[in-house]
This record gives sequence, C-alpha cells and structure tokens, in this order.
Amino acid sequence: MILRFEGVTYHYPGIENPALDGLDLNIHPGESVLVAGASGSGKSTFCRACIGLVPHFHQGRLTGKVLVDGLDTAAHPVHELFRHAGLVFQNSDAQLFNQTVEAELVYGLESLGLESSEIEKRLAWASRLTELDSLMSRSPHTLSGGEKQRVALGAILTLRPRLLILDEPFTHLDPEATEMLRRILRSLKSEGITIIIVEHRLHEMIQDIDRIIIFNRGRSVAEGPPHQVLSGDVSGYGLNLPPLLRLFRDFGLKITVFDVEEAIDELRAQNLLTPFYHHLIKQSPNPFGSRAETTQPVVEVEDLWFNYNGTPLLCGINMKLQKGESVALLGRNGAGKTTLIKYLNGLLKPQKGLVRIFGSDSRKKLTSELSRHVSLVWQNPNDQIFRPTVREEVLTGPKIFNAYDSRWCDELFSRFGLIPFLDRSPFALSEGQKKRVSFASAFSVKPDLIVLDEPTAGQDEPYRRELTSYLHQLREEGQTIIFVTHDLEFAAEHADRWLILSDGKIIADGSPDTVMEETATMSKAGLRPTQRFQLIQAIKRLGENKT
Amino acid sequence: MKQSILDPRSKLVLSLVAMVLLMTFSHWAFLVISLVILIAFALFLHLYRLWLNFLKGLGFAVLTFFLIAWLAFDLQTGIISGLRLLTIGGVFFLFFQTIPPEPLSNALLKMGLPYPFTFVLITSMQFIPVLIHRARNIRDAQRARGIPIEGGLRSILYLPAVAGPLLIQSFKFADELAEAMEARGFGISGRRFRYEPKFSWIDWVVVVGSLIALIIVVSGLFKSG
Repeated sequence: MILRFEGVTYHYPGIENPALDGLDLNIHPGESVLVAGASGSGKSTFCRACIGLVPHFHQGRLTGKVLVDGLDTAAHPVHELFRHAGLVFQNSDAQLFNQTVEAELVYGLESLGLESSEIEKRLAWASRLTELDSLMSRSPHTLSGGEKQRVALGAILTLRPRLLILDEPFTHLDPEATEMLRRILRSLKSEGITIIIVEHRLHEMIQDIDRIIIFNRGRSVAEGPPHQVLSGDVSGYGLNLPPLLRLFRDFGLKITVFDVEEAIDELRAQNLLTPFYHHLIKQSPNPFGSRAETTQPVVEVEDLWFNYNGTPLLCGINMKLQKGESVALLGRNGAGKTTLIKYLNGLLKPQKGLVRIFGSDSRKKLTSELSRHVSLVWQNPNDQIFRPTVREEVLTGPKIFNAYDSRWCDELFSRFGLIPFLDRSPFALSEGQKKRVSFASAFSVKPDLIVLDEPTAGQDEPYRRELTSYLHQLREEGQTIIFVTHDLEFAAEHADRWLILSDGKIIADGSPDTVMEETATMSKAGLRPTQRFQLIQAIKRLGENKT
Repeated sequence: MKQSILDPRSKLVLSLVAMVLLMTFSHWAFLVISLVILIAFALFLHLYRLWLNFLKGLGFAVLTFFLIAWLAFDLQTGIISGLRLLTIGGVFFLFFQTIPPEPLSNALLKMGLPYPFTFVLITSMQFIPVLIHRARNIRDAQRARGIPIEGGLRSILYLPAVAGPLLIQSFKFADELAEAMEARGFGISGRRFRYEPKFSWIDWVVVVGSLIALIIVVSGLFKSG
C-alpha cells in the first residue's frame, strides 16, 4: 500500500467542524486515482495530509493514522515525507519561488544535499518528462499557466516521489495545455508512479484513471472503477459529470459512457441512434437564437490594435455586440481575450482603432462613467472585496452612482442567496459565496452589458448550476452578455454566438455549431469540439455511410 | 539577465566602494564622468531599454532631490545631489542587472549570512513584480465597478479598495508560499548548492583595487580635513 488513511479525522485550529471526518482509504502502488467532490468536501485537506503538511504545518487536531509509503505522517516531519509523496498545489504562482525554471527544478534536490551528478541526472529526467527543456533559463513568473503547472510538476518529480498528488491541476489550463498535462501524466503512470488527481471536473481525466473516490463532508462516500461508481446515484455529491454521461441521463439512459465511440456502440446496441440524434438536435444549446441587427449595437469595435512591450496582442479586431446576445469569447491562454474585454468598459482605451460603447467613443468617457452601463465580473472575487459587510460590498456601486434602488437590491440579495450573510464580512465567506457577492455587486447598478471573465474556473457543480440559472434568467430578461471561458461545454450551453481569438485576431464568428464545424479554425485556436457536437457528427456520418 | 565574469562577492565590494566614492566626491565633473562610464557600461551590455525604464523609475526622485537641494542651498548643490542619486542608482542598477539572484544568494551565504535571511531577501525581490501585477488587477477590478481611484482627492477615500484586497491576498499568498517551501525542504540542514560561487584571480584584482581606491580616498579626506 503506498497510501493508507485509517479513520482520519482532522480539525483546523479553531474550527469546530472537521475537514476530514473518519476518512478510510487505501491507494495501491502504480494506481491512477481521481479524488472528486464538491468544494469544502475535504479534498485539499486530504492532499495536505498525504504529505504531512496536515498536521505539521497547519497544526490543528488529527486523530487516526496516515501512512505514506509505510511512514506514519504524524511521526515524520514533512522533509522526511517529501521523498515519498509530492504535492503539486492548486496555485502554481505560490509554489514557484526560484528565479529560473532550472533553479526551481533543483531546489528540492539541493535541500536533500544530493551530489551534483545525481542532481544533473534527475534534472534531465524530470525536464524531459515534463517537456521543459526549452524553458530552463526562463523566470517562472513569465510563463503561461500551463507552463507554470509543468514547472511545478517537474519540481516535485525531481524528488522522485513514488506517490504524486495534483490538487485541481486543470483549473486554469486551456484545452491544449490540459491535453499536454494529460499526456505527461500518462507517461508518469507508465514509469510506475502512483498518481492521485483531485478534481471536480471529471471529464478531463476520467478516461485515464483506474479508480475514482468521491468525497463528501470529509469522508469517502463511493469508490471503485469510474464506470461502476458513476453508474450509481452520485447526484448529491456536487460532481461535474462528463458531458456525454449527462446527455445520456437527460435522455433517461442509465448507461455510463465517457467517450463518443463508447456512446455510439451503446446507442447502436440499443437501436437508439436515431431517437438520440433527434434528442440532441432538439436540445439545441442556443434556445434563444441570435438577435437581429435592428437596433444600435451595444458595442462596436473597429480595427482595434494593442501592443504590449512590443508584442502585438490584438491585431485589427472588428466586432459588434447586439442587444440581447450572449457571446462566448474563446481561444488559448494569451490569445488576447482578457485584453479585449478590458476595452469593453474603458479599462483600456484604444490607441489605434475605435471602440464605441452604446454609441459613444470609449476614449471620450471615463471608466467610471462606462462602468455604470457595463459590469465586469472578475474571475477572482477577492480582487474586489474590501467592505466590512456583504451588504455594504454589494451597495458600493449604487452608492457611487447615486443609483440605489432598494427594491432591486433586495431582489438581488434574494436571487443570489445572500440574505443570511448580509451583515457578515465578505472575507469570511467561501469562494462560491464570494462569487455570488461579486455577481450581485455587478448587477446592483442595473448594467446594460455584463462581461464575465472565466465564470466557471475552479467552481464546483453546485455553483455551475447556480450560474446556469442566473444566466438563463438574464437571457430571458434580454440582457447582453459576453464571457471569456476555456470551458467549451459551458460556452456551447450558454452562448448563441462564439468569437474565437487566435494570435490577437478573430478567426471565427458564428453560432457554436457553425464554428465547431470549422475543424481547421478550431485546431488553430487549440480548441476541441464539445462531446455533444462530436456525437452528432459521428451519428450523421453513420447515417451517411448507410445511405 | 547579463552574466558577469566576476563573482557576486567581488562585484558587491566594487559596488559598495563605488557608492562610498560617489558620496564622498562633491565635484560635478567627477559625477558626470562616473555617469558617462555607467551609461557606457549599460550600452556595452545591451541594457538600453532597461536603462531607460530605470531612468523613468528614478527620474522623479532625482528631480525632487535636485529641486529640494537647489531651493535649500544653490543650483550647484542641486545638480550634484541629483547626479549623485542618479549615479548611485546606476551602480546598483548594473549590479542587479548583471547578477542573477541565485548566485547572489549563494554568494551572500558564503559570506556567512544565514540562509533564511538571504532566501527571504532574494525571494522578496522576485515577488515584487508578482505583487505589482496583483495590485494592477485589483485596481482594474475596482475601476470596473466605478470606484474613482484614477486620481483626484476623492480617490484617497477609496484607498482601502486597493490596499484591502492586496493585503489580504498577500497574506494568503505568503501562507501558500510557506507551505510550498516547506514541502520542498526549505530550511533543513545539509543543503548543498548546485553551483558554488568561486573566487578567481580577476575577483581578487577587483577587490584589492577597490579597497586600495577606498583607502586612498579615505586617507586623503583625513589629510585634507
């Protein structure tokens, strides 16, 4: 057994509810295991307990036993355990503390006092596996999210741990970087390393793992091979199920499928190809349709250029947003998406090109004037929170603009479930609750355009469901929405128009299905069509072959 | 980062001596010649853009120094004060631009400074750009809500809108960083460095030359005054 939890209960200092509550589990050498569960289910605490940070670093009260590679973590300090088990943390920024990638990779080896020859050998091995050879002299903080993740992984791998734990490694990665990390993890598995991945988005890894363990309130509530576990009722555990599985469940099929081939085989075996195809078509992701260009556009962007330190980030962008549209802005990390949305409320002013917001040249308006009409919900709600209570936080905007409407604000408090927290400090809320506060703050000024930056990144299924319900409500009210995301399943579900950015240019603009049909464009932007789209295409091809 | 043939320790001695000399001499010609030499070095090392950024950053302080000294004393004192600050800044600009933090940290350790001290010193230098980036994000996030932090007296009222989130995030970041460092063996005994700094004959020449120059100047000062 490489890892064993025996009735482990753990309380963080000063916290009454246990983060782990009588947890029992075993991990076998060479296994690849996915630990899933909603936010607050104890996943991150579990990761920290695996390498002894709980209880040595966090203190608190631990009962039961955690055995890593046969060592009792309570009896061994962290520096004796890190040779056996390595953890890649969720926030890669805070775990890269050296000046170059190379220094980052050898830091742990220097800590161990290894000979130079051994350091060189391990460095070469880890950099090859994580495909970092070309980045060795770069500063970690100048790298992209995917590259940082690989550096963090490489820095742990050089220690040659037998057990590798990754805490939500895919959260901030674009589809291309996700695929690359999956490939690296497969190579590590073939090297015999035991891998534990902690995630709430199951579809990223579900096909590469041997076993899934579901956490709920600090306990393991289900475990086994993915097909077996997900064929049971897991609806109460806040999991973001793989898209095909969700489609099958919606259709009333109890079969558990993860990929398109599997789905086709099952549908064919049950003679359900045609009805399922009609079900997919009927379940159009664009129930609201596109808006006709009859009124003045909400936003007009003409030949917009932007350079940063001599590097062109936006190259001649032209686009219009019509009232009532819901638009997804997609592309790989660094394609210019976040830069572009900063022009939509005047945070950036065009140096070359023109941006008109509700007909006015954005250069002639102050950001504070534009933000009365355009609300931006940031990816990290912690960037905005500063008031002592939730109520004051939400009312900051209306008070600045003298636009306080008590009925509307009360409705928002109720709509976003904030009534129990109104007099509490927003800093004391969970991340999901903070997101709700930031949504309510954005809506409190009754904006005409909502801009969302990565609304689903790092969020669990209950929050996604809440978000889905808000967005449906907004679209029904005719609100104009634009959002940046890497989550194509979410984008297909909530946008009636996709804009694809690549190398600072819009390379596709159309309905999700139209854009996904453009294979070359999708691949140029590092995107893969959704599983629903792939399944429709596969069924179509089968039909064509028959005729 | 431009690599240097000198060991960081000899370069540190050279820079400290240069700083003392620049503070000691109060003739504008000496300071101008020193500035020309520093600019020549920056050009030779292809650091033009960084030099300009450095000037942008220090320009306000130099100007303030110049104005205060001019108003308090006379124009010549103003020029000398501004030039002095610029040249001393230039010396340390070249020092940090030509020594990667890693060898600097190792060299400080070799000089007998404790590991936690050198690590914190070097790491905090490295995280300054990260915190600046975070502060910009926070500022943008607040501006996007209509909070008037773009300037004017009213913006002072909203200082907590940037300072609050930045402080909270910095604490959280420091906590996560400490955790990651703990998990990679920070501070355990028996640490060995991959690249040990080595003192060559050029370093000895630089150190001895710098110290001789310092002794000559200090003894000259004593004699004259």
